[in-house]
Amino acid sequence: MTALVADKLTVKRGNATLLDGLSLSLGPTGSIAVIGPNGAGKSTLLKVMAGIETPTSGRILLGDRDLASLSHAARAHALGFVPQHFDPHWDLSVGELVRLGAERGERVPQEAVDRTIAAFELSGLGHRRWSTLSGGERARVLLAMVLVVDPPVLLADEPAASLDIRHRLDVIQALAARGRDRLSIVVVHDLDLAFSFFDRIVLVDRGTVVADAPAQALLDDPQLDAVFGVRFERLQTDDGWLLRARL
Amino acid sequence: MRVWASLALALLLAIIVAACAGHDWASPGDVLRAIAGDPSLGARLLVEWRIPRVLAAALVGALLGLGGTVFQGVFRNPLAEPYLLGSAGGAALGATLALLVPLAVPQSLLLPVLAFAGAWGATILVIGISRVSGAVDAAGMLLAGVAMAAILGALRSFLMLALSDETVSLQIVLSWVLGGVQTPSWPVLGLMAAISAACLGLTLVLARNLDILGLGETMATSFGLNVTRFVMLAVLAGSVVVAAAVAFGGLVAFVGLASPHIARWLVGPLHRPLLPASALVGAIVVTVADAIARSALPPAEIPLGLVTAVAGGPFFILLLARRLRT
Repeated sequence: MTALVADKLTVKRGNATLLDGLSLSLGPTGSIAVIGPNGAGKSTLLKVMAGIETPTSGRILLGDRDLASLSHAARAHALGFVPQHFDPHWDLSVGELVRLGAERGERVPQEAVDRTIAAFELSGLGHRRWSTLSGGERARVLLAMVLVVDPPVLLADEPAASLDIRHRLDVIQALAARGRDRLSIVVVHDLDLAFSFFDRIVLVDRGTVVADAPAQALLDDPQLDAVFGVRFERLQTDDGWLLRARL
Repeated sequence: MRVWASLALALLLAIIVAACAGHDWASPGDVLRAIAGDPSLGARLLVEWRIPRVLAAALVGALLGLGGTVFQGVFRNPLAEPYLLGSAGGAALGATLALLVPLAVPQSLLLPVLAFAGAWGATILVIGISRVSGAVDAAGMLLAGVAMAAILGALRSFLMLALSDETVSLQIVLSWVLGGVQTPSWPVLGLMAAISAACLGLTLVLARNLDILGLGETMATSFGLNVTRFVMLAVLAGSVVVAAAVAFGGLVAFVGLASPHIARWLVGPLHRPLLPASALVGAIVVTVADAIARSALPPAEIPLGLVTAVAGGPFFILLLARRLRT
């Protein structure tokens, strides 16, 4: 079974150390929220784990293989990556974009493409060009492009940050739900969404993992307050806890 | 389907009109009779001189359309054009050598070979420089290209000053640089057609990855594309296409820039349809421009590059205006 392991990752760019000997071990299934303040190294961690950036030292294991030893095509098939920003240069249609996503897989049939398009409620939009889509539609197209090959591992860098609350819930819920039978790793900025939808929370600060625990266990951890530099009030509601930040 | 039929029809029409145009205008009937084997002198001149020239112009245009599409795809920049990475300067240097240095090889052979070598050599140098300096991204390559163009331009100016005297006129160099299709013999035309077909095949192989690259480097990498390697391969392939165009037609301005844009309006931005469409548009434009160059001021011939630049300049301005508005 697929498991993803980050082994003592260090990433240096010029004088800056973006990741500092970070290690993380993930099982074949589960929904994992990566949280942390700006500049903690969350995006770098995700890109390195997706094989898009090479670490200065350390390695990634996908199953029992070193990610660096995999072919580009095999890596693209196994690891789905959703970037924080996506803005295609050519004004392609929704159908063309999802098809491009599908072509990286091993002969994905057209019906699988159609099924993905339907699953993301894009059926009527197949011929619409990217420039005419709303923010919510664009987020769904991006997810459809990445998920059309149904990768066993998904790494998503807060694709919902700029969406309104309804669409944000949609996207975050869909990503977390993949964790039931696959591995879904998502950088989440909204802590309440992270704590309510994800099994496990990885708290990152200054390029290392500060805490790594089930959502319930981490909620009371004082390190949460320390890393974000605020004092959290934990408010109990009917269906869980809410965090309110105070300076 | 309608778009392709219209493009093919437009090219056919352009070729017929261009075959009629010249200092002595022929009627379409004359052209047909000449092709059918009319033994008169006028008909033989049409078959031996004008028709090969018209077809050569179409092929040069098609190559520029292909090259321009590859370069715009690689650099993801609507202002990218085929002469961007030093190929114009390299080709001009090669042609200057061929035209001004007396060598034992016939000039009709030497000129296209040295122009091709100059164009491709300059681009390979640019890629080499950007790799050695570690700037393998698009911006690094563009800057290396600008520097290379300046160096090659200076070298050419020096050669022109040093090698010209009463017996060797600078005018032949100038008129080559301004672009002009040489009239090929039929076997040479056959060779040109084969090379052009190979170039179409070569660029079509790049089509899917050009689409992927258009998603942005991060997304392209996550979709399994080795971006650095692909950009280098695509630039090498694109510059072969451009070098072939330059060898046959000199430096024809603006066609490589404009054709991909016109084609994109017609068939959309996916590269598999875009490449052949851009080749057809380029072929139509250069065929018509060459006809104007031959027939506007008889008996003189206007350099082809001047005709395309006079038409292309306004197009360029229009393009910028559209881009600024959106």
